[in-house]
Amino acid sequence: MESVVHGFFVSPPAAAAAADHKLRSPYLTPKPLLTAYKTLPFPSHSLSFSHSKVLSATPDAGVSTETGVWAMQDFYTLRKEVEATSKRVEEIRASAGLEQLGEEVAKLEKAAATDSFWDDRSSAQQTLMALTDVKDKINLLNEFQTMVDDAETIVNLTEEMESTDTALLEEAATIVKELNKALDKFELSQLLSGPYDKEGAVINITAGAGGTDAQDWADMLLRMYVRWGERQRYKTRVVEKSMGEEAGIKSATIEVEGRYAFGYLSGEKGTHRIVRQSPFNSKGLRQTSFSGVEVMPLLPEDSLNVEIPEEDLQIGFSRAGGSGGQNVNKVETAVRITHIPTGVTVRCTEERSQLANKIKALSRLKAKLMVIAVEQRASEIKQIRGDTVKADWGQQIRNYVFHPYKLVKDVRTGYETTDIVSVMDGELDPFIKAYLRFKYTQSM
Amino acid sequence: MNLSILARASILSSTLTSRTLNRTIPHRPISSSSLSYTPTSPNPKTPLFLRPPIFTATLTDLKKFQTWAQTLASSVGSSFTESDNGPCSEILHRELNWLIQDSVQTPDILSLNSDSKTDAVVKLRAELGDLYLLWKQRIEERRPFQYVVGCEHWRDLVLSVEEGVLIPRPETELMVDLVEGVVKERVGLKRGLWVDLGTGSGAIGIGIGRVLGDEGRVVAVDVSPVAVQVALFNVRRYGLEDKVSVKQGSWFEPLSGLEGQISGLVSNPPYIPSGHISGLQAEVGRHEPILALDGGEDGMSDLLHLCNGAASMLEPGGFFAFETNGEDQCRFLVDHMESVHNNSFCDLKIVPDFAGVQRFVTGFRS
Repeated sequence: MESVVHGFFVSPPAAAAAADHKLRSPYLTPKPLLTAYKTLPFPSHSLSFSHSKVLSATPDAGVSTETGVWAMQDFYTLRKEVEATSKRVEEIRASAGLEQLGEEVAKLEKAAATDSFWDDRSSAQQTLMALTDVKDKINLLNEFQTMVDDAETIVNLTEEMESTDTALLEEAATIVKELNKALDKFELSQLLSGPYDKEGAVINITAGAGGTDAQDWADMLLRMYVRWGERQRYKTRVVEKSMGEEAGIKSATIEVEGRYAFGYLSGEKGTHRIVRQSPFNSKGLRQTSFSGVEVMPLLPEDSLNVEIPEEDLQIGFSRAGGSGGQNVNKVETAVRITHIPTGVTVRCTEERSQLANKIKALSRLKAKLMVIAVEQRASEIKQIRGDTVKADWGQQIRNYVFHPYKLVKDVRTGYETTDIVSVMDGELDPFIKAYLRFKYTQSM
Repeated sequence: MNLSILARASILSSTLTSRTLNRTIPHRPISSSSLSYTPTSPNPKTPLFLRPPIFTATLTDLKKFQTWAQTLASSVGSSFTESDNGPCSEILHRELNWLIQDSVQTPDILSLNSDSKTDAVVKLRAELGDLYLLWKQRIEERRPFQYVVGCEHWRDLVLSVEEGVLIPRPETELMVDLVEGVVKERVGLKRGLWVDLGTGSGAIGIGIGRVLGDEGRVVAVDVSPVAVQVALFNVRRYGLEDKVSVKQGSWFEPLSGLEGQISGLVSNPPYIPSGHISGLQAEVGRHEPILALDGGEDGMSDLLHLCNGAASMLEPGGFFAFETNGEDQCRFLVDHMESVHNNSFCDLKIVPDFAGVQRFVTGFRS
């Protein structure tokens, strides 16, 4: 075990980086509540939470804005919703451990008050940041309570009053609606607390068993993830693509830049299986193909302070045949680096100079090793190495059936939909959320 | 000369027109100045990626070009590789992406899968018609990709190159690492005078200029006036005019008076045996300057000349590194230095390149 670990990921800088990641919580500013929310994940769902919109933003909460009259039925629906939300807030506040959070604040404040606090500037700053984060979280949880209290007050008031105040009820409906959205995001952000979840992501797609059909499938997946990235307003770039002989791709690499991209995508790692009538099969028979998807965090250059001893690296440059040097002019500058102790290998071809490819490959290797380091907490390194994605039978995490019926089903979470067209168009959020919840319950 | 350029351009444009008759590419007659590639230009050409994006095309037309060029690249298959170890389709596809990167102001627009924006107008650094022509030159004439786009990415540099100047090779990138390693250990050399003989595009000279200390200077020498102009352009682009000077002349000629004062001498001289020239990969043999490739009967003429010069020009403790054609030349050179110049050099080493070929000879003046 130790020979494999080689001390590189338990080195102080890496540990500090990991700690640093943990300390910074996903919500940046505590007030005002609503702008804070804009920094939360899932940028595609933009939150338009403002009281000025109260009058126009309520139809799906059971309010008929056209008539402006509240039927009793609508009121009961609202009351039910408020009750449910109130319960939800209670649960979330309980599971977030408000009491412990309070203790933590006290502890951190005490630490910050000591005389020697500023002796170590960087640790002082970390403490302060942690303090801000915890306070933000407490504020947020209290804000939830205030909001639900407001809604409850309106409901109670209406029950006591003879006539209904439409504007008030609409306000309550809006509060409930927005509060639920906020709670969704809070829950999700709690699920994304892995050390690299906040980072961007690098997706690697490799066509598996199934020949041309599999290569076409890999291309479809490529499009799916690119579309997903675009929907999230992430900066999505296909940085490498190796074309298949007849159609599709042999492999491709996508870089997704943006907050939480890795957190969302990490569950996509695995084998994706397609069942369809292959357009490449002249008999029109049903065919099954596989493609492998690997996901790594996209780490900024300077955060990769993992030290790998030179002798642990085997660096290969593919320079096609012959005597090389002046004799050959090829833009082939691919670099392949193997980390000997773990056998982890990366290849980089997209840059235009060998040095640039080497730098990029090295940073990708480090990212990969860091993922392994994180995964290692849960299992032995041997298992992790065996955990490479095999694009083959019996390994799939998700099935995409185009024929004889239409169904996308995640094998792990059981989540399924028949709307395969939307999924292939990047509508992956339900799958991603289902997996995150699944992972969360597994870890409890 | 001008006539021949015009004639060539008109042949190219007429073949182009006939090839693409069914298309509706709005292309004006191709100007001879922007596309001719006779190595006589007194002023170096601006690499494609540095030209202003003053041309436009619709996204649809640009995509048409891309599809056409992809088809052309795919049609090559492995035929070039089989005939002379040239590039295969996969490499050509990568080159095509880079050509688009260099010539389109917002290349990402092609990778977005949005079908709605087909009427979008894209800004180009060359006319769309010229892109067709350039890609034809690449495939049909085997014109090196680096000449097509006018630059080569080398280490962390992007160097301007054009016909008449050797395209720096990835193997040679290591030369800079060798120098960096040496000056780290012998700090005195960092402040000295370094020489890159046969600098071509200026690659090694600029590379070591950036690893030397503030007081270190580099003289980059080349006999070819085109190379001197291109090297100067590249030196200026990296703001190294005060550190790297470019001189025209043959090998040690411009360095008279500096005997025994040079701290470091590096060179990637022509080293291919004359007999091998005709069998070279078409991109190299047909397009790159023979002056920078042909090293005489056994490929050793210039290397030996450099070796002898190094003995007199280097200061005691001065460092040298030469690139060679491979193991045989490396061994020959080391033998020569040990036997003929006994006691002049020490710490002689043969260093392999990344592909494992014994590529460099390095050592110090005793």
